[in-house]
Amino acid sequence: MTVPAVPRPAATSSGQLWWWLPRVSILLLVSGIFALFWYLQRSDREEQRATLISDMLWLEQSLRFVLDHNEDLLGRFDPQRIARRETFEAHAAPLVTSNSGVIQVLWLAPSGEKLDAYPPVADAPSVASPATGAATQRLAGSVAHAVYGPPYPVGSDWQFDVLVPVFRSGELAGIAVGVYSIRRLLADTVPWWIAERYRIAIVDQSGQRLGQRSNIAELETDNDYQMPFDPPGHGLILHATPYRSATPMAGRVIMTGLAFLAALVLFSLWTLRRHVQGRLAAESALQNEVAFRKAMEDSVQTGLRARNLDGRITYVNPAFCRMVGFSPEELIGRLPPMPYWAEEYLDETRAMHAKVLAGEAPSEGFEIKLKRRNGEIFDALIIEAPLIDSQGRHTGWMGSVVDITERKRVAELARQQEERLQASARLITMGEMASSLAHELNQPLAAISSYATGCRNLIAAGAPQSEIDGAIAKCQQQAQRAGRIIRRIYEFVRRQEPKSEPCDIGILLADLVTLLESEARRQRVRLQRDIAPDLPILQADRILLGQAILNLMKNGIDAMSQTDEAARQLTLRAALHDGQVLISVADRGCGIEPETAAQLFEPFYTTKQEGLGVGLKICRSVVEAHHGRLWFEANPAGGTIFHIALPLPAT
Amino acid sequence: MTTPGMAYLVDDDAALRDAIPWLLRSRGIPCRAWESAEAFLADYNDEMSGCLILDLRMSGMTGSELHERLLERGCAMPVIFLTGHGDVPLAVKALKRGAFDFIEKPFNDNELVDRVHEALQHEKNRRWQDGMKAAVMERLATLTEREREVMERILAGKLNKVIADELSIAMRTVEVHRAHIFEKMGVRSAVELAQRLSLLGPPGSR
Repeated sequence: MTVPAVPRPAATSSGQLWWWLPRVSILLLVSGIFALFWYLQRSDREEQRATLISDMLWLEQSLRFVLDHNEDLLGRFDPQRIARRETFEAHAAPLVTSNSGVIQVLWLAPSGEKLDAYPPVADAPSVASPATGAATQRLAGSVAHAVYGPPYPVGSDWQFDVLVPVFRSGELAGIAVGVYSIRRLLADTVPWWIAERYRIAIVDQSGQRLGQRSNIAELETDNDYQMPFDPPGHGLILHATPYRSATPMAGRVIMTGLAFLAALVLFSLWTLRRHVQGRLAAESALQNEVAFRKAMEDSVQTGLRARNLDGRITYVNPAFCRMVGFSPEELIGRLPPMPYWAEEYLDETRAMHAKVLAGEAPSEGFEIKLKRRNGEIFDALIIEAPLIDSQGRHTGWMGSVVDITERKRVAELARQQEERLQASARLITMGEMASSLAHELNQPLAAISSYATGCRNLIAAGAPQSEIDGAIAKCQQQAQRAGRIIRRIYEFVRRQEPKSEPCDIGILLADLVTLLESEARRQRVRLQRDIAPDLPILQADRILLGQAILNLMKNGIDAMSQTDEAARQLTLRAALHDGQVLISVADRGCGIEPETAAQLFEPFYTTKQEGLGVGLKICRSVVEAHHGRLWFEANPAGGTIFHIALPLPAT
Repeated sequence: MTTPGMAYLVDDDAALRDAIPWLLRSRGIPCRAWESAEAFLADYNDEMSGCLILDLRMSGMTGSELHERLLERGCAMPVIFLTGHGDVPLAVKALKRGAFDFIEKPFNDNELVDRVHEALQHEKNRRWQDGMKAAVMERLATLTEREREVMERILAGKLNKVIADELSIAMRTVEVHRAHIFEKMGVRSAVELAQRLSLLGPPGSR
């Protein structure tokens, strides 16, 4: 292939755009979705964190409130009244039982000596309280308000003490101690809804967990929060770790769904792309194919014409348009009668059309006469084939049309030439025969004439009889020779006796008209035929009779060479009349003068320059051989009419 | 030695080769016949004198072809062609080439014999003229160069005096030449001399 693939810039750039746009947008969409998720997660976490912080603040607040409340209660201990055991219990019991984390209340003397405890130390599981530590007691006595002691382990639990100095009339009257169990404190004070969400722990400075309230849920350790737990202080830290929330379950489902959908979208896009690529490849193949076919049908010289089942034209190719001279717009969609049908042959064309639509058209094609736009009639060979669509349905007929006018004309010309050749060969034979006969006859006649003249000369000179006798004998011999020649002519003519075969006069005359059409056109003579349709079939020599009538017609055409062109008309009539077939050839020529008329049928009489003068004689012989009659009369319109009357067969 | 009155017939038809000589002899004209142009050409010689009768249409060489050959060989005998129907164009061509006449077969009565007679007469005249011409030429040949010059001037009708002037000779000398010329040419006057010389054709052709 030498055709360079010229890239079309516009198409390529738009194609690139076409290819890049979906990819980029898909990428953007996916990253947008991820960004959205990231943002949502982040804001979710921030919100969680905010909640956590506020929850912690609230928790710390409520812890402080509990501690402060207990402090306050402890501070209201009346040293005189609690000296009695019942009174102390009445004071201390609400503290221990009020679920505020206090597991034991102690009453210390200002000196630090333990005066009382509720519940009693022996009862209390873990009251080995060092809260009574001297330093703390001194500190509480000196600062004159509640002091918290450092945590200390008791079994698996950790405890811390709050020492509240009680003053009476400005004098330290004693120290009320509340022993807090961290576990108990957490259990009592952390509300369930916080415990649900976070693991709350109290951690000391070294990071050791002193107590916690926890579920067996997974922790979200990266999002914990801690704040100093003061009071009691001593470096204690309130530590909250949220549980990995089960709440994002719906979000996860949605996310998974989205991811799945995105994957699905990508997959479908990928499939779509493959499909589109396949389509594009197919399309380009199809385009190539279409271009190929288009080039083929444009270059082909055969006319193509498709019709649907109703006979409506659905397609014509350029060759067909050229052939008939109509444009595709004028033809497509037309129903019969088509503009290219010849009115003269409308019935035949219509019949053939119906046959084609019925599927009865001959598969080897048929010949038909069509008309070009300029009115010219031409012969076409049409081959019809059924049109089958991709679903296998029969949708119409495709006809290939070949203009065979030229082919037919050439064939016709060849035939005419052949006929003419035959005719002239016949004439030449006739002429040669006549000429050679004349020569041959001349020899004995010249001899006879010579002898006879010589005899007369001798007789006049008085010569003896004996001399004359010999010459007369030779005269006889020559006369016999002449007779033999005449017999030979007769035999020659006998050999050409006409055949007798069935002959359709109508067809014969139609053939003759066709044969003479071109000659008539050349001489600008209009041929008119008036041939009765019911002519019978005669027993005749078709060729001889045809030649005779053709000869008359040619004579008629030749006779009009001097006639005004407008008046040149040759009429061929044939009709059944009185038990005879009457054929007449009427010309509008110069007519026949009376003196010529007498000699017209004489052999070797001619008025033509190049004629031999045997034509009419032969015509008459042929007609007479068919038991007919040939005669002529003046044409009332000017010219001559030759008549041939042929009898019908006896049956 | 054939006499000038002889007829020579060339015809390929045996009957005519018999009949025509017979007819001619019935009028006293001797005739010899050949069956083909080739046979005649083989026998032809310059001594032959008389009239040729040729059939135009013959198998082998035709009459007109034979005529052509004879013309090439310098034959001046009159030729009569025998023609049949339709041979008119050929006959016309032959006439243009110098044939004496043509006669269509079959012949009318004595037409052929009459034409042969005429031809023989014509031939005889031609022969006599040829003889005369030859005699004049012979006499002319005896004239001297000076006598020729004088003769030309005499024929031009010039007087002796003028001739003497032109040739720068004495008048007397002209008279002597004149006498010699008349004697040699066998004439008695200038008029007779002019008549003799006219046999040879127009003056320029000499």
